[in-house]
Amino acid sequence: MKKIRSYIKFITVFTTVAALSACNKELNLKPHDQIESDQAINTSADVQSILIGAYNRAGGSDVYGGGFFLEPDLMGSQSAITWQGTFQDLTNMVDQQITINNAFVNSMWYNAYRIINQANYVIANVSKVDAASRDNTEGQAEFLRGMTYFDLARMYGKAWNDGTPTTNLAVPLVLKPTTVIGSDSYPSRSTVAQVYQQAITDLTSAESKMGTSVSFYANSYSASAILARLYLQQGDYAKALVEANKVISGGKYSLVDNYADEFPFPNQSATHVDNTSEDIFAMQVTTQQGTNTFNTYYASADYGGRGDIIVKSSFLNNFTSGDDRLSVYNEDSDGTLRCDKFDNLYGNAHVIRLAEIYLIRAECNSRLGSSSGATPVSDINKIRNRAGLSSLATVTLTQILNERKLELAFEGGFFLHDGKRLQQTIGGEAWNSNKLVFPIPQIEINANKNLVQNPGYTN
Amino acid sequence: MKKNLLTILLLFSCISFVFAQNRVITGKVTDQKDGSPLPGVSVTVKGTNTGTQTDVAGSYSITVPATAKVLVFRYVGFKPAELPIGGKTLSTQLEQDSKQLTEVVVVGYGSQKRQSITGSITSVSAREIQNTPVTTLEQAMQGKAAGVNIQANNGKLGQGIKISVRGTASLTAGTNPLVVVDGVVINSGDLSSTSAATDPLADINFNDVESVDILKDASAAAIYGARAGNGVLLITTKKGKNGDAKVNLNAQWGNSNPARHREFLNTAQWLKIEERAGVGAAKQDYAAGLYDTMADALADYKSYVEGKFTAYSAGSTDWTKTNTNWEKEAFQSAPQAQYDLNISGGNDKTKYYISGQYLDQTGMLKGNNFKRMSGRINLDSKVFTNFDVGMNLTFNHSLNKRVDNDDSFGTPLQIVALSPVTPVIDPRTGLLSGSLPGSASSYPVYFNPLLNVDNAYYHTNVYRTLGNIYANWQIIKHLTFRSEFGVDQTNQNEDSYSGRLVFRNTSQPNGTGENTNTTIVHYTVNNYFTYKNAFGNDHTLDATLGTSYEYNHYMGNDIQGQQFPSDSYKQIIDAAVKSGGYSSQTEYSFVSYFARANYAYKSKYLLSVSGRTDASSRFGANNRYGFFPAGSVGWVLSEEDFLKNSNLVSNLKVKASYGLIGNAEISNYAALGLFYGDAGYNGVPGQRFYQLANPNLKWEKTAQLDIGFEVGFFNNRLTAGFDYYKKNTRDLLLDVNVPQSLGIATQTQNLGKLYNQGFDGSISSDNFVGKFKWSTSFNIAYNKNLVTYLNGQVITKNNINYTREGQPIGEFYMPEYAGVDPANGDALYYLNTKGTDGKLDRTKTNDYNKAQSINAGNPTPPWNGGITNTFSYKGFDLSFTFQGAFGYKVFNSGGQYMSANASNGFDNQTVDQMSYWDKPGDITNVPEPRLFYANGTSTSTRYLSGASYVRLKTASLGYNIPKDVLAKIKLDRARVFVNAYNLFLITKYKGWDPEVNSDYQASNYNLSVDFYSAPQPRTITFGVNIGL
Repeated sequence: MKKIRSYIKFITVFTTVAALSACNKELNLKPHDQIESDQAINTSADVQSILIGAYNRAGGSDVYGGGFFLEPDLMGSQSAITWQGTFQDLTNMVDQQITINNAFVNSMWYNAYRIINQANYVIANVSKVDAASRDNTEGQAEFLRGMTYFDLARMYGKAWNDGTPTTNLAVPLVLKPTTVIGSDSYPSRSTVAQVYQQAITDLTSAESKMGTSVSFYANSYSASAILARLYLQQGDYAKALVEANKVISGGKYSLVDNYADEFPFPNQSATHVDNTSEDIFAMQVTTQQGTNTFNTYYASADYGGRGDIIVKSSFLNNFTSGDDRLSVYNEDSDGTLRCDKFDNLYGNAHVIRLAEIYLIRAECNSRLGSSSGATPVSDINKIRNRAGLSSLATVTLTQILNERKLELAFEGGFFLHDGKRLQQTIGGEAWNSNKLVFPIPQIEINANKNLVQNPGYTN
Repeated sequence: MKKNLLTILLLFSCISFVFAQNRVITGKVTDQKDGSPLPGVSVTVKGTNTGTQTDVAGSYSITVPATAKVLVFRYVGFKPAELPIGGKTLSTQLEQDSKQLTEVVVVGYGSQKRQSITGSITSVSAREIQNTPVTTLEQAMQGKAAGVNIQANNGKLGQGIKISVRGTASLTAGTNPLVVVDGVVINSGDLSSTSAATDPLADINFNDVESVDILKDASAAAIYGARAGNGVLLITTKKGKNGDAKVNLNAQWGNSNPARHREFLNTAQWLKIEERAGVGAAKQDYAAGLYDTMADALADYKSYVEGKFTAYSAGSTDWTKTNTNWEKEAFQSAPQAQYDLNISGGNDKTKYYISGQYLDQTGMLKGNNFKRMSGRINLDSKVFTNFDVGMNLTFNHSLNKRVDNDDSFGTPLQIVALSPVTPVIDPRTGLLSGSLPGSASSYPVYFNPLLNVDNAYYHTNVYRTLGNIYANWQIIKHLTFRSEFGVDQTNQNEDSYSGRLVFRNTSQPNGTGENTNTTIVHYTVNNYFTYKNAFGNDHTLDATLGTSYEYNHYMGNDIQGQQFPSDSYKQIIDAAVKSGGYSSQTEYSFVSYFARANYAYKSKYLLSVSGRTDASSRFGANNRYGFFPAGSVGWVLSEEDFLKNSNLVSNLKVKASYGLIGNAEISNYAALGLFYGDAGYNGVPGQRFYQLANPNLKWEKTAQLDIGFEVGFFNNRLTAGFDYYKKNTRDLLLDVNVPQSLGIATQTQNLGKLYNQGFDGSISSDNFVGKFKWSTSFNIAYNKNLVTYLNGQVITKNNINYTREGQPIGEFYMPEYAGVDPANGDALYYLNTKGTDGKLDRTKTNDYNKAQSINAGNPTPPWNGGITNTFSYKGFDLSFTFQGAFGYKVFNSGGQYMSANASNGFDNQTVDQMSYWDKPGDITNVPEPRLFYANGTSTSTRYLSGASYVRLKTASLGYNIPKDVLAKIKLDRARVFVNAYNLFLITKYKGWDPEVNSDYQASNYNLSVDFYSAPQPRTITFGVNIGL
């Protein structure tokens, strides 16, 4: 009996001690695939890799992977395309009947703020970056944040020229990285003017902080180019002109020889291609990272797309014969007319290129009656000559705007954004129709009671 | 062979002890029914541990002390007998006891007699599930356990299946019950690399299962503490019994077909509605000012639509030449075969059960196939009289040839979108329509899923070893110690390749492949004491105390490749571009202490208390430990004097329990603030903000009350059980939606309350006994689920199911469809906005965005039930089970394409769309067809319908070949049978199957959504069962 008692004692002590001593060690299991936040932002390299993460987020399909430009075009290009896609949320954009639960509208919102939060992390921790690269790092974060706020304001707020931007609502301004959820985690919508101003502040600061060397990262000219686009959207032609001139006079970029070369697709084989001499800023797409959303919807299945967008033959009537730019509109193997600019599945997603800057300068000079940098006609002739067209002797604003439409078709969301700026009827709706403004995603309103819905949308 | 086997087995039984002999009693035990010998009957001297078992001839020989007075004979399924010892021989007949009140039920860390249980436990026995012609255990259990709701996502083989015990107790944490096999927690999480889950129990050969005991209330489940909030499934596998080796061979062969078809437009109808859709769209375009004249618009659309007709008719302008029924093309008549062999036996010292299975099921969906090879050895050996060891070990290999997810153009049933004018074989090439070479990028209208059958594959091979070793030591009389170590090791390889011909589905012109390896190792170590004693005649005590440690390690890696030299190359080593890949690891652990005591006074008054303390690596250091106590009481009225001698009431017990159970099924690092290094850009490494820390994260807790009774009449020929319960869950582990302007979408917090309330009951009855036997068992369960607090959160992922305060989980929430405007064919919706008087504005609007969404129905059936009837006469037996679910709705998410009045593309339409609005004054529910104008296709009650159903789930008819015939061919038993599964279905639901939840989006709160989901198969098999 004594022996048995000692056995019991042994077992009891053994199991209890074994289990207890196991506890803390066995319960403190750390992640393998991720790291804890306190290990993530300590060194200069840490902060810079967060900036790379911001570029990574910017390449998402519903933001600068293409959604930011494709979706406004879907809302405004009824005269140029036939939509035959099956994603009903996109069909609703073409039909100008967007619903508050539209998944693409929500995804754009969420992914835009993911870029902004990454940028906010960089900006808040920039003091940790080595002095030599500190400004450039901060400038790039400000560039991404400013550009994103500009595009958010255009999509979720009324047009700049529609009523009073200082009272029209755009999106919440979040300028600090997310570290806890607190009372200030539920921001209200700022006005269109406030958001544009934040974009201008960020881009202007970025312009001064970033360097001028050309790579696939943003540089000072990228900021100038986006500022030129922004000021043009505001109708501030003088400022747009100044920014356009900065880009052109920098001399770092040049138009490619053939229009089609701006959309490289070597050997018709899907592959990553570095930026062309004309690209000022483009999201890099490789087999392993990034998405070219334009390809998804414009390219036929032969080139990895869904082929949801067909170009109307009537749209080609806007071109004159001999225009090289017609070379990117062809019938596919089934006789369907398509835009071939995006046939390379791993082609970079364009954000802004030099031709647009010439067109902005020409338009601004034309409107202001000036010839800053060059005359409008010489800028337009640069574009025309590259397209294999003869030079014009004189040029009107209408001609400039037409050239802009032909040159940049399907690239930058201009069917909607220019339509609003120029106060044109857009697919049967007035330029300032509520239907041409995205709703605030319902899921966001549910999570943040301080948000109000855009007019024209019911919960 | 047999001899060799026994020799090996004998090696396991080592030492035997010899006692002082007094006298020897011999005898034979037979079945009262037919006089056949009963092997394996336990024969013991009353009041002692001295005992033996009968041999294969039913004979026994026992040495008893001189003082022995009475022998007790016990055999599972028979009433025990106690006989006084007279002479040197003592033979008896045992009477079958269909109610098995003496049945032993497996409970957590032990077993208990059914009669003394105060918790709520439902058991499913081997007899009820064996040889069901299905793939997984859950499918075989459907309709057979009260309060256990089992719902398949669709009819693909081995796919995810939802199993909920007494409702759904959580929102965004796991809701699957804990699965314990032979005392060891197994990994029951989905391992599929796609968003469509596979069933982790598909690797288990359910013909090895002796019983499944489902712990439903807190009293039964709290011994599993934090893991038990969703109920516990205790699976016990078969053990050998005393006696000569028994060899059992089963073989069955059969065929599957879809249980239901759905009708789509034929060529003439399709041409008509699409032509009309072009007219409808032209009218809209003209009105929007996109054309100068109406005639221009009409002409433009006519040419566009007719161009498509020609294109989709394989280039033929004779559009009416072909009339393909594509829906039928998705299916095939699917053969299956299953072979089971098991050998079991044993002696006083050692018992063994060895089995093997080969299962080969072809899916009724083309391209779908499931194979399983399984082996098992269960062994017990008494090393010393007070010490036995054993093991349960199974090796399984399954191969699931999967088909695409429901939301892929390549899933078999998306074939219904193809045009009836399109021939299956393209006459221009003599190949399947959509094949290369040719204009395959936009012909047919969508990717042809039939191309996947020969040009793409997705093979999931799972190699799974599940086993445990254990030792039981009887330290002193009444006190035993058990130590067990269990491992569940799963190695899964998913290998897929999609060739050139399916480029339209993959966006890859030169082939794309992916190979994913997943290894999960799950260890469990249990150590516990059990004390069982009776004090005098009145008091019995049964107590358990122990510890448990679990550790789970996931290791995975993946590689993706593109650009293969030809389709003959399929492995990624042959790919020119390695386009992606990862390696990944996660771990979790649980450390637990548990205790339980069951006390009975005079077998009348029952009391049970239990508790468990759990700690898990998943929670923040601040709240790592949780304590989960439970208690229950029972009163066996039939043991009281006033009922003891009743001829009517043979059993009556009332019981009540209350306790706390928990849930910890969240991601492994949900409490930590995390950065992810997966955010590189153009080859430069990058990291991203990923998750916000919540160091206060703690257990989700469910308090459950259960009140019930069990009753038996007429010597238990009629028995019934009934339980009322209420489960209140609080501190929900919720993925709370936070403002996305923070750069994250959700954070796991303890927020929210919900409850499940209802009852489950069962009745079983032996309607006829004697030569013609008829028995019926019936079960029914009602569950009301309600979310009571979410701090105003609205949880939705698919914008169809919404989870909000005051509503059941996943309530359908959408604008209410109001039919069609007779004047212009516009789809209409009710405004349903609340006026100042509180009344709903029932004005109709054609502006979808003006219509207020309404609570449109519950996606979870509150009522579930099943009824099984079993007949036998002479050698024949017949059994069939009806299963049903009632009071819920299904949303056809594919309706926006297939029942869209041709307003959302060229998809073929369901036949009901032909009653479309055509001209002013038409009264119909189907709006005007307007090509790509999405007229009425937005999410609304238009696509919602009632889905209650009853189906003949299983049926089997068998014939036992008479013993005298068998004797001549030297067989012990032989039965031939026909099994059927899903023979017919009664429902008003118009789709393929009301038991549906589209695989790619199925979750706790995305419920009952149909999206090209395959129906359940109807399977008929023929088989034989032979015993040697």
